[in-house]
Amino acid sequence: MNATPTIPDILENIARVIKGKPHVIEMSVVALLARGHLLLEDVPGVGKTTLAHSLARSLDCSFKRIQFTSDLLPSDIVGVSIFNRQKQAFEFMPGPIFANIVLADEINRTTPKTQSSLLEAMSEAQISFDNKTYPLSQPFMVIATQNPAEYHGTFPLPESQLDRFLMRLRIGYPVPEEERKVLERPQSLHPAEELCPLLTAHDVVALQDQVDKVRMEESITDYLLAIVQSTRQSDLLSLGVSTRGALALSRAAKALSFVRGRAYCLPDDVKELAPIVLSHRIMVARAQGSRQRSSEHTEQIIQDLVDSVPVPV
Amino acid sequence: MPFNQALRLTSILLAAVSFIGLTLGSGLPAWLAMLTGGGLIVVLLRQFTTGDLRHLATHVSFSPAGWNLLVIVGFLWFWVDMFWISGELLPAGIHFLMILMVIKLFNLRLRRDYLHLYAISLVAILASGSLTTDLWYFPIFLLYLVAGVWTLILFQITKGAEDTGAPPMGGQPPQPELLGRVTPQLFWLANGLALVCFGMTLAIFFTIPRISAGFYQKGFGENIRTSGFSETVNLGAIGPIKRDPSIVMRVKVPRHTLHAVDRLYVRGVSFDQYDGKSWMNRLGYRRNLSEESPGMFIIRGHEGPAPSRLGDAIQQNILLEPLDTSVLFAAPFVEKISGKFPAVQSDFAGSVYLPFPSSSRIEYSVVSRVHPVLPADLGSELTVYPESFTKHFLQIPYTSERIGELVKAITGSQRSPYEKAQAIHTFLMRNYRYSLDAPLAGVDRPLEEFLFFRKTGYCEHYATAMVIMLRTVGIPARLVTGFLATEWNEYGSYYVVRQQDAHAWVEVHLPHSGWVMMDPTPPSVEPVGDVYPAWRALERILDNVKLQWSRFFVQYSAADQLAVVRELKAGGKSVGHKAFDSVTTLFSPFMKLFGGIPDYVFPSILRPQGSIWGLVIVAFIIMLGLSVRRILARAFPDKKITQEDHRIVDLYKQMIKRLADKGIAKTATTTPLEFVHLARIRWGEANLVVASITELYCRTRFGGIPLTDEELGMAEDGLRQLTILGKS
Repeated sequence: MNATPTIPDILENIARVIKGKPHVIEMSVVALLARGHLLLEDVPGVGKTTLAHSLARSLDCSFKRIQFTSDLLPSDIVGVSIFNRQKQAFEFMPGPIFANIVLADEINRTTPKTQSSLLEAMSEAQISFDNKTYPLSQPFMVIATQNPAEYHGTFPLPESQLDRFLMRLRIGYPVPEEERKVLERPQSLHPAEELCPLLTAHDVVALQDQVDKVRMEESITDYLLAIVQSTRQSDLLSLGVSTRGALALSRAAKALSFVRGRAYCLPDDVKELAPIVLSHRIMVARAQGSRQRSSEHTEQIIQDLVDSVPVPV
Repeated sequence: MPFNQALRLTSILLAAVSFIGLTLGSGLPAWLAMLTGGGLIVVLLRQFTTGDLRHLATHVSFSPAGWNLLVIVGFLWFWVDMFWISGELLPAGIHFLMILMVIKLFNLRLRRDYLHLYAISLVAILASGSLTTDLWYFPIFLLYLVAGVWTLILFQITKGAEDTGAPPMGGQPPQPELLGRVTPQLFWLANGLALVCFGMTLAIFFTIPRISAGFYQKGFGENIRTSGFSETVNLGAIGPIKRDPSIVMRVKVPRHTLHAVDRLYVRGVSFDQYDGKSWMNRLGYRRNLSEESPGMFIIRGHEGPAPSRLGDAIQQNILLEPLDTSVLFAAPFVEKISGKFPAVQSDFAGSVYLPFPSSSRIEYSVVSRVHPVLPADLGSELTVYPESFTKHFLQIPYTSERIGELVKAITGSQRSPYEKAQAIHTFLMRNYRYSLDAPLAGVDRPLEEFLFFRKTGYCEHYATAMVIMLRTVGIPARLVTGFLATEWNEYGSYYVVRQQDAHAWVEVHLPHSGWVMMDPTPPSVEPVGDVYPAWRALERILDNVKLQWSRFFVQYSAADQLAVVRELKAGGKSVGHKAFDSVTTLFSPFMKLFGGIPDYVFPSILRPQGSIWGLVIVAFIIMLGLSVRRILARAFPDKKITQEDHRIVDLYKQMIKRLADKGIAKTATTTPLEFVHLARIRWGEANLVVASITELYCRTRFGGIPLTDEELGMAEDGLRQLTILGKS
């Protein structure tokens, strides 16, 4: 029997497909282990979908992909009730949301109504339909991709929806050497199809449970709260980070410590994660001009705020 | 074999040898021998085998709480064992020791664990030595010695290597390879060393005589010379002794007799024959005193007045330092003497002797009775004494006309012997001066020299003069030497008797009263008191503490222990009182010194026994508190902020300071790892040290994982290295 695959094995596995983006890969695993959902935001064609696909393929989990379009309806996601003639009753036909990893591709292409149909699933890991509750299988992770807000034909995600994503990642263009490797790869096969699964769904749940046990020392909790507090008091922002955001940062920090092989958090974990975990949860004040929705801009604001909070010694 | 592995092996062997010693000495019951032996085998397997056996052996373990529980169970078992199963302290203690040894064997992690194991094995091998006199102990002891030398050498080597050796990199303990390995040279060196030790032990064992306690107390040949108590006394020999302040004895008298005696005559031996220059004791025959009860001797047939006419009894407890005389000193006249003596002898003149001089400090108690002058003697005539009596006490070396005329002139008007003696006494007291510097030893007739020319002298001259003058007029008299105790220690209520208190005086025989003491020596005019009374007081306090120490600790013999155990077994209540007494007597001088402490601080409800129990309970509570704290600390490691944690935080801060000196400042918002990164860019060679210290710091500060001593030592080394790097 082979040894249990470790976190570095998984990272390496995904890195075989997504070239030159170890940080993005690490963060997506962090999101998975923190029981969070991932929002990938970038221009089309930099590998958002491939990342989600690779992550799903590395786990022996069910994987569904939903291509969000402007005419997509909630029932296309959640499922529908169909009248069964034999039984003389309505029968629930589960939609694509009933999977371990759900790729919501181009989530901001669809209407807010359809976007919001994901809310319950993402926060409570269950679906209510026709007065009935259907629990989703664990682990459950939504990986959503979206194009930057300025693009045409997009509906920006509502704040409540955004808040449910653990982190927002930008992938960015790869460096030329890495891009070259992508081109040299045989194109006949989808790259993610080469990957073999390393972890079962059960393994993932076990790892998630272990992450909960990572120690966060009091002073680090205080540090984290001080960062959150600074977003609420900043003049640059009209909306600060919610308690859910603070919780998300805490869970993400634990997961990052775990991924990096530590059983305890460091201030570094919090500091590193703060921009990507918090930036999509804030609203920039009107006075800040037209670039208010740009994710680079909000990340920079968070980074500046974090840099002003003293680190515990 | 690497050093640290070899250290483990020799440590386990050390324990094993002491265990074998105990087992052969039949100090262990079968089950305990099996348990300990099994433990040793498992530990050895765990350490020096591979594969399945090792795997099996590593499973024999408990959690820290389990071990703690085991210690507590073992401790309780010790008491059960002592009172009900073995019934004695030594076996029960050995059993407990073995349990401790097994526990330590399984928990050999830190240096102090090793040290504990050595201590346990040392006690075990000593205990096995006390259990047996068989020959097999010899090889066992030899093995123990070899293993011990090995262990200590390896312990020192590994300690030295870890203290100074390889710089701690990345938080890893030093590799065994860095410490070096056991070479053949070292092997033979260590074994040779052990053999040399053994040879020296043998040499000491056979050359130095084995004697009872007290031999080394004073060192060789340091027994105090007491010329005054040899068979002869030369006039002039006391001079140098008089100034010797070393303590000869301490005489404790009951407090209630205090008002009666401000000075105490401690009688040694009496002399009857004077040859014109020196005194001799011709009362050669000594008879053994009858023993009334064990250790209690009575002097009977003492030629004295009827018991009804006797004076006050003086009870004394005497602690006599080792002297080269067998005389037992006591206040005159001894009635009963008790102590741990095989026999006590007495001569015709009532002096008391041991059969042989004691080489150690001895303690005895005496009841003496003063002979007062009876009214009948105030007007009595001279009586005729038998030949056997006059031979001794009316002896005169030669007839001196000058002395005869002098005595006639002094005593002519007096009729009774007592009045004559009084007249001579008064004459000597009034007309002669006391001086220590009166060397008469070389003079042909020292007595005449003293009486008619010098007219100064010391006690022996006075006493000799009076005895001879009394004998000249037909009154039996004898010279007595001893000590005149004047130094009263109020803290312990006893007299301190020093060599310089040596004294000589006279005993006169009166027809009705018997032997009566008279001292013709006038008091010394030389300053006796000290300029610093406070210092004197302190000295007396110290002396008292020494005395109590000697009485209750040094002289606490095996017999006393047996008695205590017996009493404990019998459930006697007096043990508590005794212990309390000894403790309070030991510390009472201090209490008196800080005498302002009023009585109400110690309310009367605190009876001695209550105090003892209170003490026990308090000690128990403290122990319980300590152990509970420890258990809690183990159960909730998150809450544990130990000394080490603070230490590593301190070290980390010092490291930041060093780097700041180098221009690499850590701002308030720099995280630990960012700082490491910064240091790597700015000061490449310090990177490893900074990284390792930061790692240890983070682990302890944020991870709550306590550091081991080794890791802390590594961090300290790293900081030192950083300082050196910073200077270069």
